[in-house]
Amino acid sequence: MIVSNTTSAERGIRSSALTRSTEPATDTVRAARKGRARTSPLGLVMLAPALALLVAFFFAPVVLTTIFSFTNMTSATGISGGAYVITPNLLRDLEWQGMAPEAAQSLSGETISVDEAALERAAAAGVDPDFLEEIEDELLGDEFDDARSFERELKTLPSRPRRVRDLKLAAEPFSQSILNTRFATRDEAATAIASIAPDLSAEDRNTVLSAAYTGWVWTTDNFERLATTPETARLITNTALYVGFTLSLFNVGLGLFLAIAIFYMPKTSGTIFSVLWLLPRITPVVLYTVMWKWFTWDDGFLPVVAENLGLPAFNYMKGSVPTAWATIVSLNGFIGASFGMILFSGALRAIPQQQLWASEVDGASRWQQVRRIILPQLRWPILFVTCYQSLSLLSSYEQIWLTTNGGPGNTTNVWALEAFRVALSNYTGNLQYGYGAAMALVLVVAGLALSIIFLRLFRFNELVEKPKIEF
Amino acid sequence: MTRNFSAWPVLLVLSLISLPLAIMYASVFVDSFTNTPPGAILPNEFTLAHWRFLVDPSIAGNIWVATLNTFIFALSMVVIVTTISAMGGYAVSRLNLPYRRFFLAGIMVMHAFPSVTLIIGVFLVLQFAGLYDTLAGVIMVKATLMLPFGIWIMKGFYDAVPWEIEMAGVQDGASRFTVWRRLILPQVKPGLIALGVFAFLDGWGEYLLPRILAPTSEFRVLSVYLQQISVTDSINYDFNLFKSVGLYYTLPVLIVFIVFQNRLMNIFGGGTKG
Repeated sequence: MIVSNTTSAERGIRSSALTRSTEPATDTVRAARKGRARTSPLGLVMLAPALALLVAFFFAPVVLTTIFSFTNMTSATGISGGAYVITPNLLRDLEWQGMAPEAAQSLSGETISVDEAALERAAAAGVDPDFLEEIEDELLGDEFDDARSFERELKTLPSRPRRVRDLKLAAEPFSQSILNTRFATRDEAATAIASIAPDLSAEDRNTVLSAAYTGWVWTTDNFERLATTPETARLITNTALYVGFTLSLFNVGLGLFLAIAIFYMPKTSGTIFSVLWLLPRITPVVLYTVMWKWFTWDDGFLPVVAENLGLPAFNYMKGSVPTAWATIVSLNGFIGASFGMILFSGALRAIPQQQLWASEVDGASRWQQVRRIILPQLRWPILFVTCYQSLSLLSSYEQIWLTTNGGPGNTTNVWALEAFRVALSNYTGNLQYGYGAAMALVLVVAGLALSIIFLRLFRFNELVEKPKIEF
Repeated sequence: MTRNFSAWPVLLVLSLISLPLAIMYASVFVDSFTNTPPGAILPNEFTLAHWRFLVDPSIAGNIWVATLNTFIFALSMVVIVTTISAMGGYAVSRLNLPYRRFFLAGIMVMHAFPSVTLIIGVFLVLQFAGLYDTLAGVIMVKATLMLPFGIWIMKGFYDAVPWEIEMAGVQDGASRFTVWRRLILPQVKPGLIALGVFAFLDGWGEYLLPRILAPTSEFRVLSVYLQQISVTDSINYDFNLFKSVGLYYTLPVLIVFIVFQNRLMNIFGGGTKG
């Protein structure tokens, strides 16, 4: 056993006499004093599962978000690379963009060749085996320019199908067009183009190939789009308003009020209020948001009360911009207030009661006590709540998503919600992973920067104590 | 303390602010047992009709399967989060590790870091790993997002255990693992229980991850069930049915909360929600 008391001596906290007396003067202790610590294999084993999960679902997502924010990935391009497909629509688009009509014409042509691969395809398609055998004997290796001449040739064979429709079906597997065919690699697609349209210029071929790619490509368009679209400014303003109002009015303001009011209250009524305010935090979010719907919607509680009082009654959640804002701010604030309440209550209990007694002897009123004694000592908890909650508010969108969903119009949309909707939940069906990742990356960077500042602020070093046993 | 300040204005303001919450929660209870005529505020008759969903799956689907799924989900969360946090927290609190400071800083940053912004990246990871649309994938993601919080909380509890206990054990010839298992774990039991309860509540209420990461899976949790009955077309929309299901859904949470209230207070201080 090796005991080092370097840190305890420095910090003067847990340096008990026992630690000193049991300390054997071995080499390792001296090594530990110099700061060389032996790695504990047990520690690595115990940390391994946490590390594995954190790397897979915390670190990797951050890296992937960064990587994919530089792509144009959408649900149309897929996420695992794409294929090369030339469609008639694509050729028409390219013609509009100035490609020569002859080039497009040559690409849409078809070739008919009788070879092993075609025979296999025909067999798979269920063509009569006797007929196929004859085709193989008579026509193997032949090529035809159009379907009609091939069918004419087929009609000369003895065991051909009687019906014209069957004959056409039998001929189909032999014809090949590059239109609507999936090519896995660029080379395959290029070879196919070369064989069907040998006259196509290299420049045209490259244009066609790039346009035909269905997968995602690297691009910085996402960030350009973010920087230029006017929607960005609105989202930033909304997010700032949302975080600012919720934080100042509820998470800090109301939290502080609740904590101080409960602090001065008799114990039982204090408990009732603190439990009531904790309820939003533990209520499942789906139920909580629908409770607010019931509270603010057309036939809900508030509009009915307002109607009876002769005040304007409408759907407060979605009916007008100010009421929608009031709803989402208080809806989130009611959850957030309890965080401040608990933290401030803890800090209040840590204030020595004698200070309050002394102030009362000196004739201070409650307001003076709060103003001169309590608030100055709550400076750090307030700063902590501000930092911590601004981070979580910055990225919270679940409640807004389930209530106003950014409406009316886009007036209560915030950055995190928009990123989420763009990437994972939009109604047009094409999910833009790349653009959404770029939006999320902005939040990730902001979150990282803020949490690092936040660590500096709260003296991280004090939280990290060196182990006292090396074993 | 003397009463040199009249308390009732503060009490009045406090009650007024708390009124919306009180009304909302009271209404959940009252409305699930009564009918209210349209346009009125107070109910006029008592009924148990809104609770028929418990026996009649044709109303909103089979609630018992959803309940079982939610239990599986929440209990898996408890097991994974407490086990891994108990081990990881001990390692970072008491054992010598390379880059320990760096790791602790990372845990701190991750703890403060708004993890919901990662959902797009998580979605892509699950797609690559083939875990998209599976129960296992959602559980692992949810548990991982809670790990920084869990490890941090457990580290705090381990830090408060006196070194002397550990030294005594080591002195008597026990290995570090035995010391942890036999001597230290019982010391941090309050922390483990609080963390477990917290993980249970978090898993029980989770909506976003199952909805986004397992949208079509057979596995339907209560939150998704509840959301589905709240978006049926607005003409048949039945707030009272919703509230009954909602009350049913929240009862376990309330029971757990009442039983473990004092233990939870320790841990809510480091809560994760906005």
